Amino acid sequence: MNDTKQKALAEKLVELRTGYLARLPIELEALQSLGNDLRGGERDRSGLDMLQQRLHKLAGSGGSFGCVELSAAARVLEQRIQAWLEGELGSLDAAALSSLVEDLASLHGTVDEAEPTRHTVMPSAESTSGKALCIWLVEDDVDLGQQLMHQLESFNHMVRLFERIEEAELAAQNEQPDLLIMDVMFDLEGKNSTEMLGQYPALHVLNCPLLFITANDDFVSRVRAARLGGMGYILKPIDIPRLVSRITQVFEQRRAPPQRVLIVDDDVDLAEHMRLVLLAADMEVEVLQAPQDIMKEIAAFQPELVLMDLHMPEFSGPDLAAVIRQHNQYANLPIVYLSAETDIEQQIEAMERGADDFLTKPISDLQLVAAARARIARARQLDEQISKDSLTGLLKHASIKEAVDVEVRRAQRTGKPVTLAMLDIDHFKAVNDNYGHAMGDVVIAAVATLLRQRLRQSDILGRYGGEEFAVVLPDCDVENARLLLDDIRQRFSSLHYSDKGQGFNCTISVGLACSMQYPDSDGSELLVAADEALYRAKRGGRNQVQEAKPA
Amino acid sequence: MTTLQRILYVEDEADIRAVAQLALESVGGFTVKTCSSGEEALREVEAFAPELILLDVMMPGMDGPSTLRALRNIPALAEVPVAFMTAKVQPAEIEYFRSLGARDVIPKPFDPMTLADQVRSIWKDCHA
Repeated sequence: MNDTKQKALAEKLVELRTGYLARLPIELEALQSLGNDLRGGERDRSGLDMLQQRLHKLAGSGGSFGCVELSAAARVLEQRIQAWLEGELGSLDAAALSSLVEDLASLHGTVDEAEPTRHTVMPSAESTSGKALCIWLVEDDVDLGQQLMHQLESFNHMVRLFERIEEAELAAQNEQPDLLIMDVMFDLEGKNSTEMLGQYPALHVLNCPLLFITANDDFVSRVRAARLGGMGYILKPIDIPRLVSRITQVFEQRRAPPQRVLIVDDDVDLAEHMRLVLLAADMEVEVLQAPQDIMKEIAAFQPELVLMDLHMPEFSGPDLAAVIRQHNQYANLPIVYLSAETDIEQQIEAMERGADDFLTKPISDLQLVAAARARIARARQLDEQISKDSLTGLLKHASIKEAVDVEVRRAQRTGKPVTLAMLDIDHFKAVNDNYGHAMGDVVIAAVATLLRQRLRQSDILGRYGGEEFAVVLPDCDVENARLLLDDIRQRFSSLHYSDKGQGFNCTISVGLACSMQYPDSDGSELLVAADEALYRAKRGGRNQVQEAKPA
Repeated sequence: MTTLQRILYVEDEADIRAVAQLALESVGGFTVKTCSSGEEALREVEAFAPELILLDVMMPGMDGPSTLRALRNIPALAEVPVAFMTAKVQPAEIEYFRSLGARDVIPKPFDPMTLADQVRSIWKDCHA
């Protein structure tokens, strides 16, 4: 951009900022008067809702006009109100409300009318769109803190270390980590953080997962940690790869996609009511109008639960359930009847024809949500156990082979490349022999964690055998796959494991095969090619990536 | 990979709309059409034929997610990447937005000087 253009741009930005600053006092006054209207108790809900939405807007806009401090302050208030709205408003005391009103009034003071300096602190795009997490570690043992920090960093996370709870509290007033890891005992200060956390308002309302680490395993602290919403209570000495895989689990749970429910009911009003109730509980819902289309609908929507009326004209619930069960792939799809029926015999008969449970109408909204949620959660859990390896959380052999077939066929259809990678830990037997199987498991879990972090959401990962892994990279050619896997190989070799004072490192070998070089091969043939490349990597001296070359 | 040129930007706040338009046009050199609501976007989108769509999440009337859902029902736009812009940037929320079909989430407040780069990097990811 040339100078004239640059200048014109700067002028235009100043102009926009001036306009924004001119309108700001009106908005801040409106916020204040909303605050003044609060009277306490449940009747404030709509007022607080409005306040939260407008603070959210303010948090999102201020920084773009140079008012970074205003953005941060608005966000803190927004989160405070959000936390209130999630609970009972009746339990709020007058002091909390009056401190909110005060803080709303002090927003004026955060507006910086002076020309902003460049390089204002924005939430970095990297920390939010990538998989690297911003972790705050509160640990008074500096050596341990440093060590943990370096190790977590080698898993690509960004770590900020605080020696004292107060320092973290101060930072929490303006910033927000993705994860908070907290020591339990602060010896110098004589504090137990599970006891004290409630006294640090900014830390307490942080909207992020919380893990505790501790040297002493006492029941009361564990209970307090759980009451604070702690997602983990991890004993020292800390096993880093395990800590990292626990972190990964926590984030995967939070990322779980919405639950999908299909409603089949001829009562249009009732179906619509249930749809709205389940939607409000963050589920995805579809209502089937034409029962004869049920298999098409199931194939397209892939519901995790079918809620079905027992009596419908033309086809009954049990008729439809029986049709669903004729399809092998839906043998485990939960089917629940919903009906005014109270006749026990009819219920039993209906259950015998393929349904899992029976809900009796009228059912309360809360009951409906709870029943749907529990059914789906249980089904997901079972599905995980069937298809996923318990140590790594990756797909098992059979499931990954299936995924390879699907992706290779898809690639042939779309003309896009798919690359397979086979990975194997070098000299893994020596790890087991020298350090024991528990340590071997740690190394295997570390590969899984690293793969999860470095690969895209659309990539498919599996534990192929003992220390062998398979990765499917759709829409990725062999050059890109090589760059990616070589980066993973290097990162893995820099991970340090320690066992009773003895330290060691491990390496991996990788074989790649891309569908573009093997246009006529099916999934299992491509796997064989990748396996041959892996064998060449092993023979070539290990700790390297090799590509399959067609004869 | 084709170069990104046409962006549809949907945002209810006039101030933010103006600064984003400036950032995308003057800094980024894109052709930008702005809409002040999801409803307006749905009326205008096919005529403008954007290559990428940016959606504010919290809007009165149709919010970002419901606008996205409606956009996804327009066959001509099936391949057009959509990114959300929001002040909520918890990883869990980002994953939720992705599960709705958004390619990425741009955190607010954005820096007018780097917004175009963020958009370009999303575009690149879509074609990687």
